[in-house]
Amino acid sequence: MRVSIYRFDPDVDQRPRMQDYDVELRHTDRMLLDVLLRLKEIDDSLSFRRSCREGVCGSDAMNINGRNGLACIHPVSELKEPVVLRPLPGFPVVRDLVVDMTQFFSHYHSIRPYVVDDRPMPERERLQSPEERERLNGLYECILCACCSSFCPSYWWNPDKFIGPAGLLQAWRFITDSRDTARSERLAFLDDVYRLYRCRTIMNCTEVCPKGLSPSHAIEQIRTALVKDSS
Amino acid sequence: MRVFSGQRAWLLQRFSAIAILVLLVLGIVRLAMSDGTAYERWHAIATSTHGVVLILAFFLSMGLHGWIGVRDVVLDYVHAPSLRLPLLAVIAFILVAVQIRVAMILLGQP
Repeated sequence: MRVSIYRFDPDVDQRPRMQDYDVELRHTDRMLLDVLLRLKEIDDSLSFRRSCREGVCGSDAMNINGRNGLACIHPVSELKEPVVLRPLPGFPVVRDLVVDMTQFFSHYHSIRPYVVDDRPMPERERLQSPEERERLNGLYECILCACCSSFCPSYWWNPDKFIGPAGLLQAWRFITDSRDTARSERLAFLDDVYRLYRCRTIMNCTEVCPKGLSPSHAIEQIRTALVKDSS
Repeated sequence: MRVFSGQRAWLLQRFSAIAILVLLVLGIVRLAMSDGTAYERWHAIATSTHGVVLILAFFLSMGLHGWIGVRDVVLDYVHAPSLRLPLLAVIAFILVAVQIRVAMILLGQP
């Protein structure tokens, strides 16, 4: 299999370059991550993140033949050669396929990704009805791989101010949580020309989410909640 | 300006889009239902009270819609304040000038 990979080592390289590899696959190499690990045996200077190998940790998010995805759940059989691998677009490159996600996580932290509940602690636990719990489906599954935010043109334009699809999906996950008491503060925080309203409903986020989630739907829900709560 | 920020701007853009569509349809129907040459039809609309209100409302909606849309494009692409602020000022000036000129023409002070 022919693979072309973005290479950049800031300590050595003046500019990034694409490096081609021909790799002999074995029958056990089912996913793109297997190919990368095989490549690592050939060239140990190649850098990429990976951890769980099963689409749960979100570490190996990268741009695969022009689309963001997770290498560990991207089947080799679906890859068109040459396989072009680049780091997540719009993110500063640390080295090769490794990007700096500091800003991404700072946006995530800004939405207060935890249940806020100032009421007295119950004797055992805060209960939810099955319907209330159902509202969290399609939201809590986000693994923060950044495939969506990195594929969002609005995020490329204003990465320092627009929270991005991943952060906004997480924001809606807590706004809609029946146990959370900070709904109005959360909505007031998002009612800003940059934080929420840079979204142009391009829907790249929904298109590339490796977990099949829909950040654009969550963003629409936030907008609707803002209208309902202000009327 | 807070009135053009966040949710308000987003809502204004959508309501103005609906207003533009409705006023456009009303204008086309009004034109189609009147008799005479093209000039006479336009003249009849531009000199009637409801026609003036309709055209003014149309341009006002266009101005609001245009301002929010172009401002958003500037916010996305122009990041240097030294360029952004003059650019927004020029756009605002043009949009306001268009409103004033339309009002002057319709109210008989060309």
